[in-house]
Order: sequence, then C-alpha cells, then structure tokens
Amino acid sequence: MDRRTFIKATGTAVLLAPVLVRETLAAREPSLVAVAEGTDHAATTRKAINAVGGMKRFVKAGDVVVVKPNMGWDRSSEFAANTNPLVVRAVVEECLAAGAKKVKVFDYTCNDSRRCYVNSGIEGALKGMKNVECKQIEPERFKKTTLNGQFLKEWDLYDEALSANVYINVPVAKHHGLSKLTLGLKNVMGIMGGNRGYIHRNLDVALADVNSHVKTHLTIIDATRILTAHGPQGGNIADVKVLNKVIASTDTVAADAFATTLFGLKPIDIPVTVAAYKRGLGEMNLDKIKIVKA
Amino acid sequence: MKFTPARICQFIFLALFLVLFVQTEYRGRDEINAAVNAFFRVDPLVLFSYLLAAKSWNWLLLPALLMVMATLLLGRFFCGWICPLGTLLDLVTSKIRKSAPIMALKGNTKYWLLLPLLSASLFNLNLSGLLDPIAILLRALTFLLYPVIGLAARGGWVGLYSAIGERRDAVAPTYNLIRDNLLPFRDTIYPLAFFSAAVLIGIIVLERFETRNWCRNLCPLGTLLGWLGRFSPFSRVPTTTCGDCGKCRELCPTSFDRDVLIKEECILCMDCQRDCPHSRISFLPALKLKGNGPLLPERRLLLGGMAGGLLLALPTRFRPPERQSRLLRPPGVRDEDDFLKKCVRCGECMKVCLKNALYPAAYQAGLEGIYTPLVIPRLGYCEYNCTLCGQVCPTGAIPSLQVEVKRREVIGKAVFDKNHCLPFAGKIDCIVCEEHCPIPEKAIRSREVQVMGLDGLVKTVKEPYLVEEICNGCGICENVCPLETKAGIEVFAVKNRTPIPLQSAGHELY
Repeated sequence: MDRRTFIKATGTAVLLAPVLVRETLAAREPSLVAVAEGTDHAATTRKAINAVGGMKRFVKAGDVVVVKPNMGWDRSSEFAANTNPLVVRAVVEECLAAGAKKVKVFDYTCNDSRRCYVNSGIEGALKGMKNVECKQIEPERFKKTTLNGQFLKEWDLYDEALSANVYINVPVAKHHGLSKLTLGLKNVMGIMGGNRGYIHRNLDVALADVNSHVKTHLTIIDATRILTAHGPQGGNIADVKVLNKVIASTDTVAADAFATTLFGLKPIDIPVTVAAYKRGLGEMNLDKIKIVKA
Repeated sequence: MKFTPARICQFIFLALFLVLFVQTEYRGRDEINAAVNAFFRVDPLVLFSYLLAAKSWNWLLLPALLMVMATLLLGRFFCGWICPLGTLLDLVTSKIRKSAPIMALKGNTKYWLLLPLLSASLFNLNLSGLLDPIAILLRALTFLLYPVIGLAARGGWVGLYSAIGERRDAVAPTYNLIRDNLLPFRDTIYPLAFFSAAVLIGIIVLERFETRNWCRNLCPLGTLLGWLGRFSPFSRVPTTTCGDCGKCRELCPTSFDRDVLIKEECILCMDCQRDCPHSRISFLPALKLKGNGPLLPERRLLLGGMAGGLLLALPTRFRPPERQSRLLRPPGVRDEDDFLKKCVRCGECMKVCLKNALYPAAYQAGLEGIYTPLVIPRLGYCEYNCTLCGQVCPTGAIPSLQVEVKRREVIGKAVFDKNHCLPFAGKIDCIVCEEHCPIPEKAIRSREVQVMGLDGLVKTVKEPYLVEEICNGCGICENVCPLETKAGIEVFAVKNRTPIPLQSAGHELY
C-alpha cells in the first residue's frame, strides 16, 4: 500500500465512521417514534410521552426544563402556525409531575413577541401555573457559542436553552416555503439570535450544525392540526388539516421523518432531515424506525 | 404651594395625562380603551384647525365642541385647571428667578401666531399641532424623555446581567412589574428628539421673564380659549386692583400687572379670591353682558393673519420628488393631502406603534409634513393584525379600522432589487421575505429555476416574485431581509391605495 492509497483509505474510513457507528448503534436499538391519536389533545400528548418511556425517563426531581414550542407568529391556534397550547400545557404538566423545579417556555418570535405570546394561546394556557415561566426573550441572554459546524462556525444561542437540564422540543408540523416542511429540527431556530435570515442561504447544513450542538432530550411534534400550504405562518383555515396526532421521540430526525409522511412526502424529500441524518443526528429511514401507536 | 381646588384639579389632570401616556401602548389586548388622545379630543385648537382645513365634520371632535361651549360659558378655565403643560409650568416657575417681561412678546404677538395658523388651515395647511401645547408636551415625552427612561432602565438591567448573570432572576419580578406597566416595550430612538425637547425647554426657559409667559403671550390654544372666554358671563369683581391694596398683582399668575383684569388672560385659578386680605373678590355672572372692547385689538390682524396664512400655506408645499417614493403613511391613509389636513402631529401613533414602524418626518414630507408619521420598514414593519395607530389617532387622520379591513389597506408596494436580492445577485436560496409575508395567499412567492451559479455550475434556486395585487406594503419583507444595510426588497409609495381584494381572491393569481 503506497502512501496515497493509505491516505485515501484512512480518509474514507474517517468519513464513513459516523455512519458505521450509527449503523451498529441503530442495529442495537432502533429509534422509537410514538404516535398517539385522539381529540383530547392533552390526553393524546400524555399517551405519546408515556409510549416513549414517560416523562420521568427524562426529567429528574429538581431539574430545570426548557419546553420550546413554536409560537413565532401572530396567529391564533387554529391556523396551525404555532404549537397547540393544549399540547404545550400537557407537556409542562408532565414535567412538573416528574419533579421539575422550574419549567421555562419561550420562543424567539418572528412577529411582535407580545402578540405572539398572547395570540398563540400559549401564554394564556400556562397562566397561573406554579414554577412555570413563560417570559419573552431577553436579547442580552444570547451567548456567542462556538459550533465549529460545516456552515456556522459560531452563532448566538439562548443561554437558558443551553443551561437547562432537560430540553424538550415541541414544534408544530407545518409547511415551509424554503425547507418544504418545518418540524423538530427547524424549531431550533427559536433559540438562535442574531440575523437568523442569514442561515437561509444554507439552511440544511446550518440546522444540522446547530442541532448537533443543542442536546434535545425529547421531541414532541404537534400534529393535532397541520398547516399544509402557505407556511410557515399560513392564515387561511383552508390550508389547515386536522389530524389529532401527537408524535414523540428522543430522536428528532426520526420524529421529523415520520411527521413528513403526514404531508404525503418522504423523508428524503426534506433536505433538512437528510442533512441531519447524514450528520449522524438520527435515523430517517422509516423501515429502520420503530413506530408505535400509543 | 397651596392646594386650592384649581391646583388639585391640575394635578389630577397631569396625573391622568401621564397615566394615559403610559397606557398608550400594547399591553396584551387588541383594543386601547383610554389613550392620551383624550386630551386632543377636547382641544378646541385641534377642532378649529381641523374644521378649517378638512372643511368637514368629524364626530371624534365632539368633546372639543363641548369644551368650546364650556369656555364660552365659564371662561378660560382650561389653562388654569386642566392643561398639563400649564401645570408643569406652575410646578417649575417658583424655582426660576424672574427678570423683566419681554416687551416684544406683549401686544398682539399671540394673535399674530394664532390667526396665520388658523388661516393657513383654511388654505389646507394644518400646522396647529406644531404649536399646540399638549402636542408640544407629548412630543417631548414621546420622542426624548420616555425613550431615555426606557434605555436607561434597560441598560441598567442588562448591565446587572453582565455583572451577576442568572442570579439577576432573583429581582426579576420587581423589574418585570416596572417593565410591564411603566417602561416602553422597545428601545427606540426617534428623529427630531432633541428638537422636540428643545421646544419644551424653550417654553420653560421663558419662565425666566414672567410667570406663564408662554401661556399669556404665545400659546395659540390659550389665545383661542381666551378669545372664546371673553363672551363668558362670569367675571371677576372688582375688575381692577383696589387703590388701597394691590395684592392681586402678586397673587395673579397672568393678568394683573396692568392693574386691570384682562379677561382673555384670566385662567380662573381664583387665587386672588382665596387670598384677598379683604375678601372683596368674587367671580359672578355679570348682570349685563358687556363686551371687552373690539373683537380683535387691531383690524389689520385679521387681514394680516389671512395673508400670513396664505404665505405660509403655499411655499411650504414644496416637496423633494425623490423623497416621495418612500413617503409611506400608516395603514388606512389613502390620500396624502387629506391626511395632512387632519394630522395633529401629536406623535401618538408613533408611540403606540407595536413594531416601531412609525417615525416623525423631519424633512421627507417637505416643510408642511414635519412631525407627520412615516413608516420606515427597515426599522419596523406594520404588524398584520394590529390596529393601534388608528385607535389612538385623535382626529381620525389615521382611520380606526376593524382588523379585517386594516389588513387589506395598502401602505405601498414591495419591489425587488435584483442587484441586491440574494437569489438573483448571489444565486443562492434565501426567501426570508416569503416566509414572513403575512398575506395568507402570500404576496411574495417563489419558483424554482435553473440558473448558472457564480461558480459556473448550473443549479436550482428559489427565485422570489411579488404578486402586486395582494401586497399591502406592510414592510415586513424589507424589515427582515437578511442583507445588511440596504434590503433586497423595498416598499415604495403608491398613489392608488385601493385595498387588496378579500382573502382567497389571490388564489388564482400567477
């Protein structure tokens, strides 16, 4: 073996290593995606959480938990631009029941944050709950964070999301003009500060960069109703489809992959999912994902 | 300071003014029931200039009409009992040492201000808001004082975070209470901030020469009220200082330096009655309604005032054409000329604007448009579901509209600048504008096209395009465009501001 061949071989091995490691891991324990269905959205959410092991699996007594819904738009709940407040409340209640010291709920909104918090219904749904904080983003809390990603070397991330013991991602499943769909992986933009529009020029890679840095313990996708067109903010009830489904998984890529099928698409159609899969962030092949109906 | 009924009333209204000022902000509800516009609704100067300029009636002005009647009946009580600027002057004047009054301000100066102002209104130039005392006070508060308070409080709060980090949360509830109820939500710097404050400070500096100098010698609202008050049947008796005493001269904040009560200047504070050592003074309905001399001190005032208004009205209409293209008015304003006739320039819309899209025009709208509100999309956009500016506008220059109607009102139309816009200039994906476009059918859409990238390779890019028919010019696209400084899409003014068609009508377009 000459030097050139050796370098080639080593290079290939290094490149393939994450895939190989993932393959072996996946072989041992396939990603589990729980899908619950029902018109009582709080109960459905609980069923989904229990099917992936219950909240006690993630939240220990005394933990500070961040629940990160999508409430980026000044739209009322039925338009499916924001996460269903009933789902958010159920998740928060489960965290408290599991012994969380504090549950923080926030999103870096696109429209005026006061209106988004009010009109999404989420601020109202959490009002008066003890040890629950639903406060607006304070810009000084964004911390320049080294990502050393393929596209983003560093970015401002929200310190409360980084410092929490448990990070629970609660996106709504909806259409998006650029990324086709916005699901769990894209919901991470709500903890990104700075000129967020900048990352649109290489969105798939940028989201993989951020998601490899932010540890998501649990992803719960709200598909109680989904926005099928004119996303991400919609506004026309004709674009909304009621599914009464809630999806839960510890693997955001797998949860996204399954949620994609609700729109009649394949995971391979969604570049954000593909980029995250290639990065080794999770499983996107539906035949390798264990899907349980809860 | 003695707490006379007039004084107590003044404080109540000053407090009310400040409370309403702070309330003129989004606090979690779509409607603002009580805003500081109440003070303009009862302002007869606003009433007369509106009637002269717009030449039409508006029910929003009914309270001002009632104030006119009350003044005809009682006299110039507004200045001594209600006006918040007057109260402010009363509060500071005792701390300011007086030199002699400025003689140049005596005589008919106040009429030379009021009459051209009113006559200019008749010639379609409504500038009364520039010299209206409540507008002056409100602008100084809105454009300088309140933002400074907000910036200072937030600066301290952020500083605390860099000093002690997350431990700051311990005092957060206290700060949140102040922030949610007192502070401005967003830190905004306004143009004309110093100028606005300088006018108010100038008025305070005038107190160096005599008490209530502005009110007596300049204020057009006071002059108007004084003129109306001449017809009041109530008069102070006796009408002159008494030969054996003359204490009124020091008690009276306005009129008695000439030993005779000038009825137009009496603000009915009643200090003279209260503190008269001989209890000789009373305010009674006069038995006979005798006039206080001629209606105007000089006949040439009327002619000169008219001529002055005309001279003022025509040349100020010059507007640099290149600035017209970005002359974006608040939603619901369809006609520029009509808007200028009705706008008081009070600054309330700019204070209440949810995303701080509105700023006072310094020169963009020409001299006649100074202080009128402009949308500057790069700084803030018009929030799709918000109707606050129309709600607080005291004269309906910005109409108060239902949200379904307001969403369709056209502010301008967006235009792509392909030399800057990334998919065109850089051949890379972006479409942040499409993502944010609030129109349910999307006025900004995109299509996939095969282009040659800058590296010479053929690739697929999403190119955005505008569906002009359903663009309402809210400006969120320009606001969020991720390019630095100049945006790749900009909103330009249009003459035809016919509302965009109802929802779903846009489905067939393109």
